[in-house]
Amino acid sequence: MAAPALSQRAEVAAGSGRRARRRPPRRRDHLVGWLLVTPALVYFLVFLLYPALSALYYSFTDWNLRSDAGWVGLANYADLLFDDVKYPHFWRSVQVTLQYTLLAVPMTLVTALVQALLLNAIRRGANLFRLLLFLPVVTAEAAVGAIWRWLYDPQYGLINSVLGLVGIPGQNWLNTPELVIPALAFIAAWQCGISMIIYLAGLKGIPGTIQEAAIIDGAGPWQRFWRVTFPMLRPTTFYLLVTGVIAALQVFGLVYVIFSGNGRSVTGGPEQSGLTYVLHLYLFAFRYDAMGAACAMSFILLVFIVIVTALQFRFVKQEAS
Amino acid sequence: MSRGLLTGALAVVLMAGTGACGGGGAGSGGGKELTFWMYQDRTPQAGQVIEKVRKDFEQANPGVTVKLVKIPKDDYNTKLGSAVASKSAPDAGILDQPLVSKYALDGTIKEVPAGLIDEADYYKGALDTNRANGKLYGLPQDQTTVALFYNKKLVPTPPKTWDELKAAAERVHAADANVAGMNVPKGDGYGAWMFPGVVHGAGGQMVDDAAKKVLFDQPPAVEALQLWVDLLKSSPRKITDSDKPFENGLAAMTISGPWDVPTIHEQFPDLDFGVAPLPYKSEPAGNIGGEDSVVFSTSKNPDLAWKWLAFLANATNNGAIADAFGGFPVHLKAQVVAGGPEQAAFLEQLKVAHARPAVPQWIQVNDEIIAPAIESALTGKATAQQALTDAAAKTRTLLGWNG
Repeated sequence: MAAPALSQRAEVAAGSGRRARRRPPRRRDHLVGWLLVTPALVYFLVFLLYPALSALYYSFTDWNLRSDAGWVGLANYADLLFDDVKYPHFWRSVQVTLQYTLLAVPMTLVTALVQALLLNAIRRGANLFRLLLFLPVVTAEAAVGAIWRWLYDPQYGLINSVLGLVGIPGQNWLNTPELVIPALAFIAAWQCGISMIIYLAGLKGIPGTIQEAAIIDGAGPWQRFWRVTFPMLRPTTFYLLVTGVIAALQVFGLVYVIFSGNGRSVTGGPEQSGLTYVLHLYLFAFRYDAMGAACAMSFILLVFIVIVTALQFRFVKQEAS
Repeated sequence: MSRGLLTGALAVVLMAGTGACGGGGAGSGGGKELTFWMYQDRTPQAGQVIEKVRKDFEQANPGVTVKLVKIPKDDYNTKLGSAVASKSAPDAGILDQPLVSKYALDGTIKEVPAGLIDEADYYKGALDTNRANGKLYGLPQDQTTVALFYNKKLVPTPPKTWDELKAAAERVHAADANVAGMNVPKGDGYGAWMFPGVVHGAGGQMVDDAAKKVLFDQPPAVEALQLWVDLLKSSPRKITDSDKPFENGLAAMTISGPWDVPTIHEQFPDLDFGVAPLPYKSEPAGNIGGEDSVVFSTSKNPDLAWKWLAFLANATNNGAIADAFGGFPVHLKAQVVAGGPEQAAFLEQLKVAHARPAVPQWIQVNDEIIAPAIESALTGKATAQQALTDAAAKTRTLLGWNG
């Protein structure tokens, strides 16, 4: 008896809503609407659109923040790409960033998925473990940098001590060019909390009936993961892949903190092995007084990110199956 | 409507922005106001010293108020750059030494008026950090330098020459393979900043900025770099790349400045160490750091601003001011605030300290060209000569000094 009454009421409510919408809009409504969107609009115009357009303009100028900007056309772009005296480490920074992205994104996804599966499997203490696994994300970047400098310390570092227990000789992690990118990617994988939460939500969204059906069909845990869980998570994986790549291409804070200990060396680690694209950009903007060139760098990055993202949408499978 | 709201919000945002920057500009009322930007006080005592000098100046100049704006050092250059860009620079302020020639050449700061000071009263090295194109664009306020820190247990008498330095490092490492002789500087921005002091120690220089000649591919610089390469044999990176190797007793010697002395005493009270001037090859030498101050072109009271800067740097005030800023006096007659037994070495070093080249792009040359060259020699990827020849050629192209 109760159910039809409820649905009737809902119909009435929906009907009155329709009637209300048919009324001609009043000026007051417009005013309220504008008031509601104004903060977001102002924020967008003042802090995003205006700086972005200015940056585009300045990328065609020779500008040092102080004197008037002089129009140089495409010179900044041409010099960045081809003049290895003016920008000796531009391509190096591109290479470093690509290496980092190719390593950090898969590592992050795998760690996040494994953590999410474990959290999804346990019954007791899930909240506590979720909190612990999420902590690295909300910890201040400077603190994270300092802690990892200790962990990677060649003499006292915990990582070398652990490796020593299983007979692997200690490494000079942050000072050996070949090891810098893996070391940084490892930190990124440790900070995978956000991806982990999103994976967890994805896992909760898989209907239990499908898993049950698979069990009845005699699928083992391994098969269930590869044939059911992983394919069902595909939209989640795709989302994390796209956003992860965009974030990795812009990695800055962590590298800056790790390699500028005591405010000394910001030149990007041994032999520029940690000179990521945005760190390179930052140095030209704020240390070498070349804001125009830095703006050009940011637009090259923007175009690159758009292309990479478009390619992912074109070639990576996104639908659950 | 929407436009009105937008403009209103924009105005609020802009006002908040300038307010946060502590903007400059002329004062109100009858008296004149002078805005001076400086780094945040290192200690509460330092704040009191500056406050006293400020009051003395206001007393000596009735009707004048000096407004001190203190900004954390890490944010200072960025904030100042933004202020200059938005035409809200203060009347005067501290300016990072390598920025002086940049700001001078693009007209952001004023030239020191003739007769403001007697140049003979000041340390030459400190004064030279204010020059661009041979002209003076600022006044030094304090100066500092780096010297050799040595662990007295491992190195009883500090080495004076390069040969003694190498011998001492070898002895230490031979006695204990887990201890490095010296924490050899790296091929990074900081190492490249210290490098010229060593080059001067062999009688050379990095560049001749007046003649527009790059000189760091000449024998003195090559020998200086070779010294660092040689030292690495008795000072493995695996040991010195650890956190605070000198403080933890893992490296017998290191190069650092007076700012490290109180920190070491506080955090490593058991470390028995001394400070000596940098070892040299043919003549004692070192490099210089510290604070300079300048007057901005947009100042409404430039004469008054210069008077204030000269007041900070005069014989009476400079001793206390320099100590408050964390360095040593720049005025030859100023009283040095007494410090620990380490002080003598730094003062000795300052007498022979050289300013870095007055080239506007010097930070870029330092970081992007010289640092990698040092690193490639230290890692054995190139000889010292090859690395510096290559770097010098790049520098000539970048600066357009091919004559």
